[in-house]
Amino acid sequence: MLFLATRHLLSRKRQTTLILLGICLGTMVYVIISGLQLGMREFILDRLLNNTPHIKISARDRIIDKEEMTQRFFHNEAAVSWIIPPSGKREELHIQYPQGWFDRLSNNPDVASYTSSLNLNVIISHRDNTYPGNLGGIEPLKQIQVTALEDYMVEGSFLDLTGGGNKLIVGDGVLERLGVRRNDSIKVSTGSGEARPFKIVGVLKLGIKEIDETLMFAALKDVQQLNKTPGRISEIWVKLFDLNRSGELAQAWELLSRETVEGWEESNSNFLQIFTIQDIVRNTITVAILVVAGFGIYNVLSIMINQKRREIAILRSIGYPPRKILWLFLIQGIILGISGAAIGLLLGHLTNMYIETIDIGIQMGPHSTFLISRAPSIYIVGFALAIISSGIASILPAHAASKLTPIDIIRSEV
Amino acid sequence: MGIVAKNLVKNVGDPPTRILHDISLEISRGEMFSISGRSGSGKSTLLYLLSTLDQPSEGSLIIDGRNITDMSIEELHRFRNNNVGFVFQFHYLLTELTALENVLLPARNSGQHLEKTSFAHELFYQFGMENKKDSLPSQLSGGEQQRIAIARALIMNPGYIFADEPTGNLDSKNGLIVMDFLKRINQERGATVVLVTHEREYAAMAQREIYLVDGRLTNEETFIANH
Repeated sequence: MLFLATRHLLSRKRQTTLILLGICLGTMVYVIISGLQLGMREFILDRLLNNTPHIKISARDRIIDKEEMTQRFFHNEAAVSWIIPPSGKREELHIQYPQGWFDRLSNNPDVASYTSSLNLNVIISHRDNTYPGNLGGIEPLKQIQVTALEDYMVEGSFLDLTGGGNKLIVGDGVLERLGVRRNDSIKVSTGSGEARPFKIVGVLKLGIKEIDETLMFAALKDVQQLNKTPGRISEIWVKLFDLNRSGELAQAWELLSRETVEGWEESNSNFLQIFTIQDIVRNTITVAILVVAGFGIYNVLSIMINQKRREIAILRSIGYPPRKILWLFLIQGIILGISGAAIGLLLGHLTNMYIETIDIGIQMGPHSTFLISRAPSIYIVGFALAIISSGIASILPAHAASKLTPIDIIRSEV
Repeated sequence: MGIVAKNLVKNVGDPPTRILHDISLEISRGEMFSISGRSGSGKSTLLYLLSTLDQPSEGSLIIDGRNITDMSIEELHRFRNNNVGFVFQFHYLLTELTALENVLLPARNSGQHLEKTSFAHELFYQFGMENKKDSLPSQLSGGEQQRIAIARALIMNPGYIFADEPTGNLDSKNGLIVMDFLKRINQERGATVVLVTHEREYAAMAQREIYLVDGRLTNEETFIANH
C-alpha cells in the first residue's frame, strides 16, 4: 500500500507541499520557542539552584500587633480602644535558638549538609564612593558544600575566607562601582557603629547585574563582630540528598518552629509560575499550528477519498480488504506527518543555531547572545506532536474510506 | 464445482424493498453465462451477489464447494483476489498508475507482482498493447482502457470472470473487440464468464442465458414477448 500511497501523494504535489509546510512550520515553531524558553530557563534555574539552598530557614519578622497586645494585657471581653496603638518590631531578625536547629539537622537522615549565615545590609565605601550592599557572613567550608557559589568565582576562592581576618569576597560589579581591585581594602559599615576595613580577596560573578553589584561575603565571625552580635545568625541553609523532598520537609519543619522555613520551590515560586505560564503559551501556539495542519490533512484526505470512490470500489472488488484501504489513506497522513516533522526539526534546529549567534547586548552567562536549549526532549516532543496530530487527522477519513462498500459506490456511480 | 446459488433474496433500503425474489441457479465451471434484463430488473444486483461483492439477504451461495455467506471479510477478499476477476462498465483504472501497474494491482495485493510481471507482458502482447504499458490511463482511448481492465481481471488467472455491461461505454467496434476477448478467455483459459448485458447480440454469444423480469427468473419466450 506504501507504493500506492506515495503515488497518491506525488500526484497531488501542491496539496502535499502545502500540508508538509503546515506540519513543518508547527514543528519548527515548537523547536524554536522551546529552545529559546528552555535555554533561558536552564540559565535561570541553574543560577537559582546555585544561589538558593534546597531549604532556607530564616528568622521571622516579629511585628508587634495591636490585637495580640490587647489579648495579652486585657481579657477577651474587655472593650479596649488604644489612643496610640502599640507598634514596632519586637527584636532584630535572628534565629532564636540555633543550637536546636543544628541538633535537629545533624540527626535528620535527609539532610546532606547545612550552614548558617548572618546577612546584613551594609554600606560600603572607598574614598568618596559610598554604596549599599548585602553582606553575608558565612562558614566558607560548609558554604561550598551547600551551594555551588564557588563555581562562579572569577578570582580567589571561598576557602580564602577561612579563619576570618576581615577578608571579603565581592561581586564583580562592586569592584566597578567603587573603582577598586582585588587586594584593595574597602570600608564596611552597618549604619550604626564604626566602619571597619575589609580586604578584597576574591571576586564572584553570577552574570546577573543586580546581584553582582551588591553581593559580598565574609567569614561569619567577622560579620558577627561587625554587627556587635556574637553568636547571632539569621539564616540556616540546608542541602538535602533529594531536592524533590524540599517542599514536604520545609512544611513539616515550619510547624515545629518559630522561623520561616522555605523549600526551594517556595523561595522561587515567582519564577516557577513564569515557567508554567511560558509552558502554557508555548504549548498553545504549537497545538494551534498543528491543529491547523491537522485540519489540512483531514480536508485533503476527505476530498481525495471522495474523488477516489471508484478506485476504492475496484480495490475492494479485486480483493483489497478494508484494513488495506484504511492503511492506504492512514499511511499518507503518517508520511506527511513524519516528513513534515523531520524537515521542521531540521529547520528549527538550523534557525536556533543562527539565533544563538545574534548578539543581544545583554550579558547572560558566558556570552551576550541568546541562550538556546538543545535538550533532546524538545525534539522528541516536537516530533511526537506532529505525528500524533497527523495520525488523528488521517485516521478519521481513512476509517470512513474503509467503511465504504464497493457495491454502494458502484450503485451510486451508475 | 461451479457456482451454486440457492433461494437468493436481496432486500434494499428501509423499509426493505425486495429487488431479487428467490433465485436459484447453477453455473458450471467453464461456462459462458449471460444475465439479461431491462434496467432495474435486478440483473446487476444478481451479478454482484454471484460475484461475492454483495451479500444476499437470504439464501446461500456456494462457489467451488465453499460457502461464501459464511466467510469472514478477510477470507472473502482473499477469495476474490485469487478466484474472481471483474470487468465493469466503467474501467475503474487508477489514474496515478501506468497501464502495467494497473494490471498488476491484484497481484500486488498478495505480494505476487514480481512473479506476475512476465504474465502481464504476455497479456499486453495478446491484447496488442505492448507499446502502451507505461502509458497512464488518461493517455489511452476508451477501448484501450477497457482492454487494460480486462487484463487486470485476468492477471491472477481467476476461475471466474464477472462482467457488468462491459461494452456499455464503448462504440460497437470496440464493444465487439471486448466481447471477443471475453469469448477467447472462456474458450482458451477455461474461465467461467458471467456477463450482464442488455444487448441481444452479445447475450447470444453466451452458451446459456437467463432472463430477469422485476427480480424474478423467467423463460425466454415471456422475456422476448415482454420486450
